[in-house]
Amino acid sequence: MNKTTVVLFFLGILNLGSLMAQKIYATKTAQIKFESSTSTEDLEATNNQVESKLIDNGQVEFKLLMKGFVFDNEMMQDHFNGKEYMESDKFPKAEFKGTIANITSVNFAKDGAYPIMVSGNLTIKGITVKESAAGLIIIEKGKVNTKSSFKIKLKDFGIVGKDIGTVISNNITISVSAKYD
Amino acid sequence: MNKKNVILGVLLVGVVAVIGVWYFIFYRPTHFKRDVTDEKAIVVTAKDIVKEFQSNEAEANKKYLNKAVEITGEVVECKKDQEGHPTVTLKSDDAFSNVQVTLKGDKQLEAKGGSTITIKGIVNGNLSDVIIIEAVVTKQ
Repeated sequence: MNKTTVVLFFLGILNLGSLMAQKIYATKTAQIKFESSTSTEDLEATNNQVESKLIDNGQVEFKLLMKGFVFDNEMMQDHFNGKEYMESDKFPKAEFKGTIANITSVNFAKDGAYPIMVSGNLTIKGITVKESAAGLIIIEKGKVNTKSSFKIKLKDFGIVGKDIGTVISNNITISVSAKYD
Repeated sequence: MNKKNVILGVLLVGVVAVIGVWYFIFYRPTHFKRDVTDEKAIVVTAKDIVKEFQSNEAEANKKYLNKAVEITGEVVECKKDQEGHPTVTLKSDDAFSNVQVTLKGDKQLEAKGGSTITIKGIVNGNLSDVIIIEAVVTKQ
């Protein structure tokens, strides 16, 4: 075995070590809210059964059921899931898969609030759009939490009900909060 | 019938209509939520419902979505979601896929891991787990 092979061998072990050390944080009860505010109506709905995974290499994903969004008014909830808006029977799920660009700035071993930039693919109603958002990773006593808030255009996802632009805002604010196990 | 009676009648109809609209659009949908306690439910085990969703999600959705179900299974863990609603996870034969139940109320369920319980709730769909909402514990 010559020198180069030995060096490569050890580099290989080191690399394997870092792969094995990859840590996955997961939860099945992350929370996603959306809000729409117009002069006629303020709307808000919350989904508390969001699945999320965060890997310490920066990969992050969220999955939810559209019917998991709860409104104060059940009638609004029915409209939301109905034919005119989300068609939740046809498109039951929404999903985000992305990466945190500056994950190396997060020290998972040290308490603190680390600003992050996330970008990735958001799929709603079967349409996938590239979105990016600013957020925070908060490390508190070894527990990992993430928070983010961003706006999406309903039109981008083919959501064009008759009240959009009047009663419902064209742009909806999405707030994400995940406390990982 | 004189004029006065006609006006009174119209007023009365108007008032009833306004109350009706208020009741059905604003009051009832915010004050009376679906309660599965007395609904007739499909009886199934946690293992079987997970299997059904895994083998054919479209068929399982047809059979279960928005329906009341009574599910018996082995407790994996009891927790609370981020809004403080109690949750319980029921085991299936696949470690990556369970039944995730959100219970009504705000008190964390006290059930030991490994014990068997029965819950009744509404099927909301399938992510990596089958999701049940608005549930109550019927047997513990």
